[in-house]
Amino acid sequence: MLLRRTLPYIASRFTVECHLFSEYDGSVVNCSQNFDVIVIGGGHAGTEAALVAARMGKKTLLLSHNIETLGQMSCNPSIGGIGKGHLVKEVDALGGAMAAAADEAGIQFRILNSSKGPAVRATRVQADRMLYRQAIRRRLENQPNLWLFQQGVDDLTLEGERVTGVVTQLGIRFTARAVILTAGTFLGGLAHVGSANFQAGRAGDPPSISLAARLREMKLPVGRLKTGTPPRIDGRSIDYSAVTEQPGDDPVPVFSFMGDAARHPRQLSCWMTHTNSRTHDIIRGGLDRSPLFTGVIEGTGPRYCPSIEDKVVRFPAKESHQIFLEPEGLDTHEVYPNGISTSLPFDMQVKLVQSIKGLENAHITRPGYAIEYDFFDPRALKSSLETKTIEGLFFAGQINGTTGYEEAAAQGLLAGINAARKTQDREAWCPRRDEAYLGVLVDDLVTRGVTEPYRMFTSRAEYRLQLREDNADLRLTGVGRELGVVDDVRWASFEAKREAIVREQDRLKATWLRPNAGLNALPEADVLRVLGKAIGHDYSLYDLLRRPDVSYAALMTLPGAGECVVAPEVAEQVEIQAKYHGYIERQKDEVARNAGYGDICLPLDLDYATVRGLSTEAQQKLNQIKPETAGQAARISGMTPAAISLLLVHVKRGFSGQKKKKSA
Amino acid sequence: MENADTIAAVATPPGRGGIGVVRVSGKDLKSLTLSIIGYIPEPRYASLSRFFDGDGQVIDQGIVLFFPAPHSYTGEDVLELQGHGGPAVMNLLLSSCLSAGARMAQPGEFTLRAYLNNKLDLAQAESVADVIDASTSEAARCAMRSLQGEFSSAIHVLVQALTDLRISVEASLDFSEEEIDHAHHADVSRMLRGVQAHLEHVLASARQGSILREGVWAVLIGQPNVGKSSLLNLLTGEEASIVTEIPGTTRDTIRRTIEIEGIPFHLLDTAGLRETDDTVEKMGIARTRSTLEKANFALLVMDSRRGVTPEDQAILDSLPAGLPVIYVYNKIDLLDEPLVADAKKSGSGIYVSAITGAGIETLRQRLLEMAGWQPRSMGEGVFMARQRHLRALTIARECLGNAAEMDGGAFQFELLAEELRLAQQALSSITGEFVADDLLGEIFSRFCIGK
Repeated sequence: MLLRRTLPYIASRFTVECHLFSEYDGSVVNCSQNFDVIVIGGGHAGTEAALVAARMGKKTLLLSHNIETLGQMSCNPSIGGIGKGHLVKEVDALGGAMAAAADEAGIQFRILNSSKGPAVRATRVQADRMLYRQAIRRRLENQPNLWLFQQGVDDLTLEGERVTGVVTQLGIRFTARAVILTAGTFLGGLAHVGSANFQAGRAGDPPSISLAARLREMKLPVGRLKTGTPPRIDGRSIDYSAVTEQPGDDPVPVFSFMGDAARHPRQLSCWMTHTNSRTHDIIRGGLDRSPLFTGVIEGTGPRYCPSIEDKVVRFPAKESHQIFLEPEGLDTHEVYPNGISTSLPFDMQVKLVQSIKGLENAHITRPGYAIEYDFFDPRALKSSLETKTIEGLFFAGQINGTTGYEEAAAQGLLAGINAARKTQDREAWCPRRDEAYLGVLVDDLVTRGVTEPYRMFTSRAEYRLQLREDNADLRLTGVGRELGVVDDVRWASFEAKREAIVREQDRLKATWLRPNAGLNALPEADVLRVLGKAIGHDYSLYDLLRRPDVSYAALMTLPGAGECVVAPEVAEQVEIQAKYHGYIERQKDEVARNAGYGDICLPLDLDYATVRGLSTEAQQKLNQIKPETAGQAARISGMTPAAISLLLVHVKRGFSGQKKKKSA
Repeated sequence: MENADTIAAVATPPGRGGIGVVRVSGKDLKSLTLSIIGYIPEPRYASLSRFFDGDGQVIDQGIVLFFPAPHSYTGEDVLELQGHGGPAVMNLLLSSCLSAGARMAQPGEFTLRAYLNNKLDLAQAESVADVIDASTSEAARCAMRSLQGEFSSAIHVLVQALTDLRISVEASLDFSEEEIDHAHHADVSRMLRGVQAHLEHVLASARQGSILREGVWAVLIGQPNVGKSSLLNLLTGEEASIVTEIPGTTRDTIRRTIEIEGIPFHLLDTAGLRETDDTVEKMGIARTRSTLEKANFALLVMDSRRGVTPEDQAILDSLPAGLPVIYVYNKIDLLDEPLVADAKKSGSGIYVSAITGAGIETLRQRLLEMAGWQPRSMGEGVFMARQRHLRALTIARECLGNAAEMDGGAFQFELLAEELRLAQQALSSITGEFVADDLLGEIFSRFCIGK
């Protein structure tokens, strides 16, 4: 019943949109306004891109087919998590909006992996969808240099191999030197509920069909991916006495380096329940009507976020799967049952939901669906996220084959920075793999490409110990200031923190404990309590802090340790830096060793078939990817040191030839 | 163009000649030089010096040459250590350089650095790509040879065990929110001990399989009076050869060991192999045959005037299938015209005369080839390949040792994960790359991950 109500609604909206541009007679309305940067799409990538470009002083236009959905969380209402939280902190350290908006909208905060080491600790927020959207919308509307306009984009205008602007569905033309495309799943989107499928961007929104066709014409390499969502549930129909409560952390964490827990909205709990063997039987009985298993869906879904039917089929021995019941907001009863993403027919969805403990009487407010969409092979991008073939055209977000708000926001921020720099004829910026998860993300995308929707995990970062949430500001805010994306307030607060850290480190290094020096002797009981064993000679407090089992807090209780006057985040930083010193140094050595010839640029038009001695396989891979540097080439799978040597020889030969000409 | 690290390699062809050279190149070799010879020699002057290992023990005495940057072959600091040419000394010397901070040079890397630092003229530069190409394929072949037999299978067992451990550890870091069986510290410790045990086993078999220490086993076939002994003496002649005869009963295998270019060749005499009805003697022959199982090849010596005799053929037929055979036709000085039928058939006939010395060099080369010894100027030989593998295993062992010291405290799980990652990185230089995505793939196929 519900399905029938929903489908025509989507279909009719789609018809209206089609109708609009079928009336469009092909004439172009030239808008008087020219921009520096145009951003197409108002999701998490688009909004960060538009905000940062405007923050850098560029006249920026954000085009979205619907201003009401700017900053929409279209999947589950949460931000952060392991690996993803790291990205959000980095975006924040560079002045981005996501963490601050999450602080304003967060209704449950947790630090995941809190019992583990600092490198894998990560913040996760359950956000009120409406508050989040409002937080983003307010930032967009109040951002100087930023204009919003509600129109779908039909076409890009080019001059040779340079982008010059866009044409909207009504034929309105805007010009700009840089265009950032953040079309999400809207390109060639096809949603599935059972055997029914319809063209869609995400539930309720139209797809961007003609733009997809246009981009296909440009011969940019396209692939197809799939993702899905669960049916939503009316919270009033959930039996909360039968499910397990999962409260947020106390004290309540904050996401942004500039955040304040006092400004969080009212906090709620999440809830947990499980599927059971009856649920699994229902699913198995409906597989012949599942578009996933009948071959209707062609796109590749993520292995780490499978639909419930995938989980049941692939792991038949697992008798139950956990489901998190996540509140969608303070002013709504809707609940997002995280863990039962499905594209089964709606009648099956009702049966499977109602087989679950606590959900026996659940009322579904929106059916779950799977969606297939086009993505562009990110190996066609530079590490600035500019396309290699069309100058000034940048791609960011899900369109590059990633999944997740956080991955999208990070790319949007980077594309926005580089689009702004492009308009100033300045060279592109991208952090290295040892500097930021953002660097890992982009390098993975442009070097390895994607075979499934790409999501960040900490294990993707070989320099994980360095890339922590807690030091994202120390890693990036300085460079952000140079890039012009960090405002004065953040900069002042950051500098104060940085100085406090150095001051405390200096104090600890200069304060010595003496084992038995007469009047200043430490009481033995205190030494045993804090250090576990007696000390044989003088130690600085800093040396003692480097021991694995000595905490900063305990150390400060020692007589003579001085007064601990520093803020908790400063103390934390001092402690972690002391404990990880040896490891970080070792990783820095590894970075230095690998640096070598890594920065040497390779020409993008180099035909690798002409490089002497390269194997055919290496030639093909290099020709497909066209790496920007020797370092990137070395990270292509299967590339040997010898192949890189041959490349260096080839490139150098070209350079020495040039040199000769100059001197002649 | 600059590169931060220091590279080292044996620069002389493996096993040849009385002198061997280890060459080191890097931006700054002062501390390495100090730890190897104890002082900084005068630039570009040959001086006699003792060479030390990491523990301060003398390895060898020889000539040292120091070329400070930029006046050197590579344009960086270059240190040349000329020692006694035997493979044992060269390996010790190279190991000392590695412990002192150098890494093993990639094939062709010295030439590459010379080229990148403008030390080669345009004409020489033309051939750099060819040098790298040729030396790389040579090294690849040698690595393949090193990676054979028990060593290879043991390495794969080791890598699998380490991968399993990393799956557990990484899953508990990246997917701690998932309902999967997360590894507890006790499980990790147990698995880690298992991996360490595998590693020790691999290291042992890698060393055992080392040609350097163990040598090559060959079956020596030949009727009395075909000139086996004189041939063997000639083969080892001008070198400090050791010819031993291990006495035994007639039922035991007779073993002689000769050395060519420092490689021991163990020759199993098949004199005791014959048809018999005697039960006791049958048992002895069975024992002999099991000894033959470890042979790398067979050496059949014949009087070229007679060729393969029926007795020879009987023994050939009884050898393990697929064992390579070198056909040696001796006494060609007594021949009116060469006898070619058998040689053509086998394609591996070698004509020699123990009296005149004709063909001896060819035979020597063939034997060295059978040992995996590749005395070619640009190649690095199986020794170096195996040395690389041992080096990788040693690094992995160190990382696993560090991991084993972690007590499972809060800060330490990710540090343990880091040590395991480095161990795997070291091993992947032997077995091929294993990237983060490979690990994630293993995790997703084992656990049901995702909401």
